[in-house]
Amino acid sequence: MASSLDPTVTTAALAALEAAVNQALTLDPAAQRSLGRLAGCTFAIECSAPAFAVYLQPGPERVRLLGFHDGPATTRVAGTAADFAELANSSDPAATLINGNLTLQGDSAPLIELQQILGKLDPDWEAPLVDALGDVAGHQLAELLRAAFSNGRVISRSLLRQLEEFIHEEARLSPPRLEVEDFYADIQALEQRVERLQSRLARLRKRMAQAAS
Amino acid sequence: MSKKRTTHFGYKEVDEDAKAGLVANVFHSVAARYDLMNDLMSGGVHRIWKRFTVELSAVRAGQSVLDIAGGTGDLAAKFADIVGPGGRVVLADINESMLQVGRDKLIDSGYQGNLEYVQADAQYLPFPDDSFDCVSIAFGLRNVTDKDLALRSMLRVLKPGGRLLVLEFSKPGNELLAKAYDGYSFRVLPLMGKLVAGDSDSYQYLAESIRVHPDQETLLGMMEDAGFVNCEYHNLTGGIVALHRGFKA
Repeated sequence: MASSLDPTVTTAALAALEAAVNQALTLDPAAQRSLGRLAGCTFAIECSAPAFAVYLQPGPERVRLLGFHDGPATTRVAGTAADFAELANSSDPAATLINGNLTLQGDSAPLIELQQILGKLDPDWEAPLVDALGDVAGHQLAELLRAAFSNGRVISRSLLRQLEEFIHEEARLSPPRLEVEDFYADIQALEQRVERLQSRLARLRKRMAQAAS
Repeated sequence: MSKKRTTHFGYKEVDEDAKAGLVANVFHSVAARYDLMNDLMSGGVHRIWKRFTVELSAVRAGQSVLDIAGGTGDLAAKFADIVGPGGRVVLADINESMLQVGRDKLIDSGYQGNLEYVQADAQYLPFPDDSFDCVSIAFGLRNVTDKDLALRSMLRVLKPGGRLLVLEFSKPGNELLAKAYDGYSFRVLPLMGKLVAGDSDSYQYLAESIRVHPDQETLLGMMEDAGFVNCEYHNLTGGIVALHRGFKA
């Protein structure tokens, strides 16, 4: 899938992203080892709107991100940017992958394994800080950052829950999920009953026409 | 008495026999500061162009690659990482000084085992027929005296199904960009060469040699005439550089 952008731009963006991912991987040796198990796989991510394709090749020590790939892909995922955003924000990516609008070709098991490895990525920021600042200052700064990240995660989860409650229960801006699902189920049942009625009427009309002739 | 055949050396017309020596002098002069000058002149973008070349090469583990005019070994290092211990990369350059700088740099970076160094002329490649899965030449073809002869030589050493990648300066598609690029090439580059490498003439030659090099469509035709099939090219950075690719049937 060709992008309309100058290859210099897309290649530079992928190079920067690849460097960032590999830097994060060097700080999480467990994830790096797990990714090594997927060496030899090629994951194709093809976005139709906007049009671009990214190919991810995990290796024993680092991953490669490519804009071009000639050859078969282990797993090919295609869809629009909105579909990929839905997958990224999903609490159950496997279910979203199966039930969403994304098209999946090839072996899905390595893709789910990749998603799990990246989801569990937990870089140890202490190592580069200690290298740069020394043992004492580096360790203390890393502790502060760890506490800040941990608190940040708790606060963000709590905020998200409270915001959800406010939208659904207090402001009634959007109905709760169960109510929506119930509503959709009712609509589906109504649609089926209307279809049945329609075909019954058609049968009756046909019989009346036959009786008249 | 037969008239001597001539060719371009920048904007000058020189005897065909003399061009190789003149180009050799340019590269003897710039070899020591070649990488630094590349980064300065292109703002580091030459690394992106080379990365794109490696992507389009589709080289895989265990394959054999010939990097002609490989200079200081940027592409050869990337290929060596991909082909792994079971593969083979040959870094070839006609210029002894460039080859020496490239070899020292790669050995110092820990590359060994799957890399070979050969001083070779692109027009008369010293390899058996059908030897390589991929042949690349980055910013080297414009310095070759007889480009058609070199392209035929590259075709000969490629295995059937193998691919040639030619990364080379080309013609910008946009008039405004072309004017800005001309100003940069003829005013800034020689000055930069004088200040950093102590040699403005070599960088004046660089700018001139780019202007007399065949444009995208002409080079595509030359590759097809040499016998390559499924030829195509990709313009990079508005056509300042183009990557041509062709396959051996």
